[in-house]
Amino acid sequence: SLLLLLVSNLLLWQSVTPLPVCPGGAVRCQVTLRDLFDRAVVLSHYIHNLSSEMFSEFDKRYTQGRGFISKALNSCHTSSLATPEDKEQAQQISQKDFLSLIVSILRSWNEPLYHLVTEVRGMQEAPEAILSKAIEIEEQSKRLLEGMELILSQVHPETRENAVYSVWSGLPSLQMADEESRLFAYYNLLHCLRRDSHKIDNYLKLLKCRIVHDNNC
Amino acid sequence: MDLWQLLLTLALAGSSDAFSGREKTQRMQTLIPTGRKKKCSIKKTLRLTLKATAAILSRVSQSLLSVNPGLKTNSSKKPKFTKCRSPELETFSCHWTDAVHHGLKNPGPIQLFYTRRNAQEGTQEWKECPDYVSAGENSCYFNSSFTSIWIPYCIKLTSNGGTVDEKCFSVNQIVQPDPPIALNWTLLNISLTGVHADIQVRWEAPPNADIQKGWMVLEYELQYKEVNETQWKMMDPILSTSVPLYSLRVDKEYEVRVRSKQRKSENYGEFSEVLYVKLPQMSQFTCEEDFYFPWLLIIIFGISGLTVMLFVFLFSKQQRIKMLILPPVPVPKIKGIDPDLLKEGKLEEVNTILAIHDSCKPEFHSDDSWVEFIELDIEDPDEKTEGSDTDRLLSSDHEKSHSNLGVKDGDSGRTSCYEPDMLETDFNASDIHDGTSQVVQPQRLKGEADLLCLDQKNQNNSPYHDACPAIHQPSVIQAEKNKPQPLLTDGAESTHQAAHIQLSNPSSLANIDFYAQVSDITPAGSVVLSPGQKNKAGVSQCDMHPEVSLCQANFIMDNAYFCEADAKKCIPVAPHIKVESHTEPSFNQEDIYITTESLTTTSGRPGTAEHVPGSEMPVPDYTSIHIVQSPQGLILNATALPLPDKEFLSSCGYVSTDQLNKIMP
Repeated sequence: SLLLLLVSNLLLWQSVTPLPVCPGGAVRCQVTLRDLFDRAVVLSHYIHNLSSEMFSEFDKRYTQGRGFISKALNSCHTSSLATPEDKEQAQQISQKDFLSLIVSILRSWNEPLYHLVTEVRGMQEAPEAILSKAIEIEEQSKRLLEGMELILSQVHPETRENAVYSVWSGLPSLQMADEESRLFAYYNLLHCLRRDSHKIDNYLKLLKCRIVHDNNC
Repeated sequence: MDLWQLLLTLALAGSSDAFSGREKTQRMQTLIPTGRKKKCSIKKTLRLTLKATAAILSRVSQSLLSVNPGLKTNSSKKPKFTKCRSPELETFSCHWTDAVHHGLKNPGPIQLFYTRRNAQEGTQEWKECPDYVSAGENSCYFNSSFTSIWIPYCIKLTSNGGTVDEKCFSVNQIVQPDPPIALNWTLLNISLTGVHADIQVRWEAPPNADIQKGWMVLEYELQYKEVNETQWKMMDPILSTSVPLYSLRVDKEYEVRVRSKQRKSENYGEFSEVLYVKLPQMSQFTCEEDFYFPWLLIIIFGISGLTVMLFVFLFSKQQRIKMLILPPVPVPKIKGIDPDLLKEGKLEEVNTILAIHDSCKPEFHSDDSWVEFIELDIEDPDEKTEGSDTDRLLSSDHEKSHSNLGVKDGDSGRTSCYEPDMLETDFNASDIHDGTSQVVQPQRLKGEADLLCLDQKNQNNSPYHDACPAIHQPSVIQAEKNKPQPLLTDGAESTHQAAHIQLSNPSSLANIDFYAQVSDITPAGSVVLSPGQKNKAGVSQCDMHPEVSLCQANFIMDNAYFCEADAKKCIPVAPHIKVESHTEPSFNQEDIYITTESLTTTSGRPGTAEHVPGSEMPVPDYTSIHIVQSPQGLILNATALPLPDKEFLSSCGYVSTDQLNKIMP
């Protein structure tokens, strides 16, 4: 998994960083929408892989067999966002809304990721694998956000900059003294992260096929 | 039943016994003294315990009997969830094991309840499975209306109202795609030999996976093997629906199968149906194209190479090959004489060799191992003219003559007296400056290049030598022909030893020796010179002006060599020196180099330089050195030594010390 991380990291560095600057500030850049979507899909896939690994490592190490799964149901902070829950719903959403939604989800995760990194770093005997992945996810999320905003501006230039996103208030629970509660808080956070990264990945693939390939991937 | 009866009876007996025993003990206690009381109490307790156990046993047996006898053989397996699977991320189904019921009474139908947590609902509302049929027996199928992807589900299995199993998951985690369909292959190409072929395998994605809209992204894994093999060969996961297989053998049949997996998840779906590949055979016969690593060739070459190297190594040990490869630096050696012989001091061999040249009788010599033999370079007269040391001496290149003389020519072994490296070694310590000894001092020599007084620059008597050169040449040449190697034996020894100088009858002028050979050194310290071949008196042919005064002054100088003419002219007794016979070389005590002839002629002379022995005196061959005036020279005894036998005289090469001792007083 580390090797995969390394390789995908390399690929990403090559392909995604940085998003090209349009010469002269022109709206229509030389980079095609197809390339943008390709890069975005690669990023989202990478982020999802990372978060899956991070979650499974955390679960194996700290919370195995505690039955947290039954408790951590639907208590993610991004649940307030109206995300499509299946294919039919996803097909009914408009492109513009879809893109905005993705951007909102990504924005909502900025702060939690930042706090996650700081908290894990501050932990005694900080698990290196989890910490490194958290840092990486935070970094790539920012990039993906930039990419999505760029795509949005290209596909729907008239869209106003909307600041809709979910506020995360789980920081106190991460810092609780009680170990059980604290572990549960982490579990929940990582579980939600995995779920949302999967959502974003799926949505992007849908959008890519819809926008770039006209529903004919 | 019999067992129970037995137990009951025992218990009764035990209890009755106990009762009777109690009475007895009570009675006994009054009568029995205290020592026996303990034994009685132990017995009492034992009986009580027996009774208790019997009672317990009876109760247990009673209860056991009342129980349904069929319960013993009952074993219940609870129904469990085996797998929940979503093939296309739109629907899912769950399966469980069937309960095993052996009992007469059926515990009741198994039910599945599920709940999905939504943000809005906070309560756990368990709903029953919507479809028990579509997915088969012991399964529950959730169609797309009941499926939400990123929402967690919890399901539970109930039997008889009691929860048997429970599970929670999200649909996106249980995705296992269907197997690909429509596998087929096409031939790409066949190798020229007709043994191997490449094929392209194609398939289609499972129909229920929505690839076109991008809802699912699948990757595939292909496996293939030969028909009679057991291990499947796996290829790396690929995203496309076709893949080439290279280098399949035409004469073999292959099986191919593919399975798919959603890219993000870990679980592969089921394998597809096996595709049989039978390649068309172009030719009737198949040649073995298999490439076997040529181990045999490599082994053969390796062994032969090693053998060659071994032989080279062995041969290199031999001296001959070694000499060919690494020719040794030429060391001084005499033609025909092995220097090792000289080192070992084998007189006989050396004498035989010398005898060849000089018809000498080698039997005089004893094996004095301490005596070191001088290398004698006796050559044919008609040998060597140019390039000789003499020529170099005579050349105008006087500055370099010293170095010239120092140069060894070839490997003939002949070196001049002026060879600095030869002479340095032993003579640095010594202080021979006079001419009587043939041992030459290198420092002096270095300064002087001209053996024949021909070097004008290096000598102080330069003016005197001007007239010499032309005349000296023939003698030089002659002398050159017989040029024994001087000295170098025990330089240190010889300096402080009186030297016996063998004098021989003066031969013709032409026979004056340019060099003379120290043939032996006696234990008494005498140096035995060999009779020179040439008369050095030939040197005296040159007419010198007896400018004594100059010579006198010059003699004081450190001159290694003086030609005899020089010595002659420098002898204060001029007329005596100017002997009629030109063949009479004189010597001076200053004269370092004295040939036998010169000694012969001047023998009988007293130790002073002024006295010149008359030529008419018979000069003995041998005379003893009276004084060694270091560094001035040697002074010979005037007394003539008794002539040795003819035999002795005729000895050319060597005189053994014993023989010398006979001669010497």
